[in-house]
Amino acid sequence: MVITGLVLGAVLGFVLQRGRFCVTGAFRDVWLQRKTRWLTAFLIVIAVQSVGYFALLQFGIVKDTAKALPWAAVIIGSIIFGVSIVLAGGCATGTYYRSGEGLVGSWIALVGYAVGAAAMKYGALKSTNEGLRSITAPNLVSIQATLGISPWILVALFVAGVGYASYRHLTAKTKLPVATLPARYTGLRHLLFEKTWHPFATALVIGVIAIAAYPLSYAAGRQAGLGITTPSADLVAYAVTGDAKLINWGALLVVGILIGSFIAAKGSGEFRIRIPDTQQTLRSVVGGLGMGIGASWAGGCTIGNSMVYTAQFTYQGWAALLSTLLGVGLGVRLFITNHRRAGAVTPAAAAPSPVLVNA
Amino acid sequence: MAQHRLDTFTLVCPFPLVEAKQAIAQIPVGDELVIDFDCTQATEAIPLWAAENGHPVTHFDRIGDAGWTITIQRAA
Repeated sequence: MVITGLVLGAVLGFVLQRGRFCVTGAFRDVWLQRKTRWLTAFLIVIAVQSVGYFALLQFGIVKDTAKALPWAAVIIGSIIFGVSIVLAGGCATGTYYRSGEGLVGSWIALVGYAVGAAAMKYGALKSTNEGLRSITAPNLVSIQATLGISPWILVALFVAGVGYASYRHLTAKTKLPVATLPARYTGLRHLLFEKTWHPFATALVIGVIAIAAYPLSYAAGRQAGLGITTPSADLVAYAVTGDAKLINWGALLVVGILIGSFIAAKGSGEFRIRIPDTQQTLRSVVGGLGMGIGASWAGGCTIGNSMVYTAQFTYQGWAALLSTLLGVGLGVRLFITNHRRAGAVTPAAAAPSPVLVNA
Repeated sequence: MAQHRLDTFTLVCPFPLVEAKQAIAQIPVGDELVIDFDCTQATEAIPLWAAENGHPVTHFDRIGDAGWTITIQRAA
């Protein structure tokens, strides 16, 4: 049943777009604004998923596929990936859902990412990829294996920690109420296509989607949870070889994200084809390729590594999350905090508000 | 009280918010800053930033598909 990949991908794409769930933004806020609201949302996804994953493992529905940590490739690859997602303006899923919103810069980054990953996994860079990934730390597989404890102890501690952080954020007050857009719809349409979703609510939904990915993907013969990088590389490999075996559950998942985010954006009046300027075009090209190369070395993107393998408490997941966070910090220093645009502010009368024609 | 305008159309996130922070520091207290943006994430990030810093939002609406305008009054 590979078709469930397409359906789950569409649901994920819809939720990512409507929830504005951007992992790059979550990591970037830590450095740029010293804020952890979105990072906490990201940790909620990991917490929810860890409960589901270990329950599925307990019932024998999934297998423990964790391997020894290819530490050099994970650290170097994740730092490259972190810098690259700042350049591209979105991580792998972020780039997929923004493509669905009509951002041409994200289309460019997406192609670069998929081609870069395909070159690393199947093409000219295969030996480069495998060379660095062959350097492993054989004793470092998972935290529970090192400590010789039940993973449920880690799950309980992690869920409690994330629960406390969430509580702190939920009880924090802003100086003024947060302004919202005037409502045009009511009922279900308002909820699905207009309302601002709370990041933590979105995170709970994504956590459930990530759990559902396991049995659905296993049933289709793919022994893994959510993943973006290999499926993206597979789409490129399929495009140039025509090998139908490459169109598996994962490949349909990423195609589904595009479809779901397009439906969400179109339905809420947030779809418009937007052309980037020269600087953003260059950044999208370089960032996209860097994402594909970095994520391949690292063995996953912000989803596969930082969100899925972390929930399994593997060293690969946590080493990747921390290295990506570091890479994002470097990217923020290099490309965001020094941003200046001369003459950006003008007297209001000098330039009328832009008038856009609805398609 | 005067109005100032910051057009960030075509800039991806987080640049609309980065520029909004720089712009609000340049205008006198009590003046309004009209920010036009077309990056979806900023529909969440800019109002939250204004609320956290006590700048009242006097206007917030859509401009066509995937376009928004928000007016923020600089607080002390």
